[in-house]
Amino acid sequence: MIVSMKRMNAILMKDFKDFSRNLYVSTVLILPIGLAALYGRTGVNSIESQFMLINLAFVMIATFIQCCLIAEEKEKNTLRGLMLSPASTAEILGGKSLLTFILTMFVVVVTAYLSDYRPANISVIFTAFFLSTFFYIALGTLLGLFSKSVLEASIIVMPVFAIFSLGSFLPMIIDQYPILKIGMYLPNVQLIELATKVEAGAGFVDVLLELFIILAWTIFIFLLTRIIYQKKMVD
Amino acid sequence: MSLQFISVEKRIHDSIIFSSFNLSIHPGQGVAIYSSVNVREQLMGLLLGDTTPSSGEVKIVGDQYTECKQSLGFLFLDNGLYERLTIEEMINFTKRLYSSTLSVDEVIGIVQLRSKRKMKIKKLSYSESKRVQLACLLVQNPDVYIFEEADQNLDLESKRIFLTVLQELKKKEKGALVLTGNMESAVTVADQIFRLDENGLHAIHTHDMSEEQPTIDETITLEESIQPVRFEKIPTKVNDKIVLFDPTEIDYIESSEGQSFLHIKGESFPANFTLNELEGRLLPFGFFRCHRSYIVNLQKVREVITWTRNSYSLVLDDKEKSTIPLSKTKMAELKEMLGL
Repeated sequence: MIVSMKRMNAILMKDFKDFSRNLYVSTVLILPIGLAALYGRTGVNSIESQFMLINLAFVMIATFIQCCLIAEEKEKNTLRGLMLSPASTAEILGGKSLLTFILTMFVVVVTAYLSDYRPANISVIFTAFFLSTFFYIALGTLLGLFSKSVLEASIIVMPVFAIFSLGSFLPMIIDQYPILKIGMYLPNVQLIELATKVEAGAGFVDVLLELFIILAWTIFIFLLTRIIYQKKMVD
Repeated sequence: MSLQFISVEKRIHDSIIFSSFNLSIHPGQGVAIYSSVNVREQLMGLLLGDTTPSSGEVKIVGDQYTECKQSLGFLFLDNGLYERLTIEEMINFTKRLYSSTLSVDEVIGIVQLRSKRKMKIKKLSYSESKRVQLACLLVQNPDVYIFEEADQNLDLESKRIFLTVLQELKKKEKGALVLTGNMESAVTVADQIFRLDENGLHAIHTHDMSEEQPTIDETITLEESIQPVRFEKIPTKVNDKIVLFDPTEIDYIESSEGQSFLHIKGESFPANFTLNELEGRLLPFGFFRCHRSYIVNLQKVREVITWTRNSYSLVLDDKEKSTIPLSKTKMAELKEMLGL
């Protein structure tokens, strides 16, 4: 399947214009940035709280916006038009994800900067951010396929929001409730573990396990999204 | 390139949505299919490739249908536009998506939205947004255009633009298929009109349209009813209105307490004439006085039931399967008519 950059770019430009005029969704960008500025100024800069903000940025931008973009296409009956066009599924979802990807990267970097997070090893942290972005975008696509309208999308994203951003405090209560050990394998918690190791001076080789777990999650959600997409579109 | 339906039939569970028909739409042809909403939805499903026909196939000549869906362009009933984009951006986006070579400016000119090109689509009226949708379709430049209820709820201006566009398409050797539930719309937009239902596809000839069209809603004043042609309709009174029925529509006529009632599709309408007068007028149309107080449309009779040697009933082919009595003396007459 040849992916046409021209068509993907057309979808990206369209989504960008559409998104920038959609204040209900685009104001979400301010939330993590604003919180980060606040946390940074008040001097709360333990790695957990910094990563709670970064994970919040991931969920709010990558998952929520992607979910809304897809849900709105469905709500307004425009997805059918796109699917009838020469653009392939890969181009449609690619074009949409590209916008979310750029926004996420931008917001995550700004959030990290404002909350005074200065990673010891930038390349490792960036690789982890990169992988995580893919994971959250795929998750957003998946949720978008399940919701029929923007309203539904903003509710369906709530549990995900709770798990992946507030879940950053999970390691703190893990000793009281051993059953939560499973939660340690969530990609957001893995991201924090990775960051902690990096702060202790770890390089690529030392964090391979964490990177691998995040990658596994990403691949899993990608495949799941693919299956659900095919199922939903056949109906 | 032409779109062909080859003995296409659709059944859902046990009921027939439409029975097998053949139809092809050649370049430069405008075809309208007049049908119920159910049939229209099924047809759209087939054209979109969402569903498959129970038998037969839909294809674009030379190739299998699924391989070249790009040569079909759809104008859906619900418009599916990005309402936060301006008209110009929307058309530009479609142009880039379809790698089209047509000029955006020209297309905006055709649908006469030049003065509003920078306006957001959500600020447009329904008719205007429909025109934007048409412009997007024109930019796609397909070989066969499919219009779903194209001129429903449009204002006069937009209808005129739409008709002009259709004329232009014909000149450009494009095929057009209009799916509609409105006979008037079908007549105005297409040269060939068909009615599609569970009995199959029937061509409707525009010149004898007056016979085909249902006349239930048609109320006319007395002056208009003076016509030079032979007048065959049966007037009935509904409240203050006079409603005219074609004799062929009538299932049967019943007389009760001195008043005669026309029974049409399960509803009854009081007629202004006595049964004897009606019998005289309706005899040439295959009606039969089967009982002292009944006249039946023989075309609609499905069964003759013999209860005993002296009592008979006729079962009609209408929705309720109405039964009407047939008197003994009339039975002999009927047998004679049937040649038994």
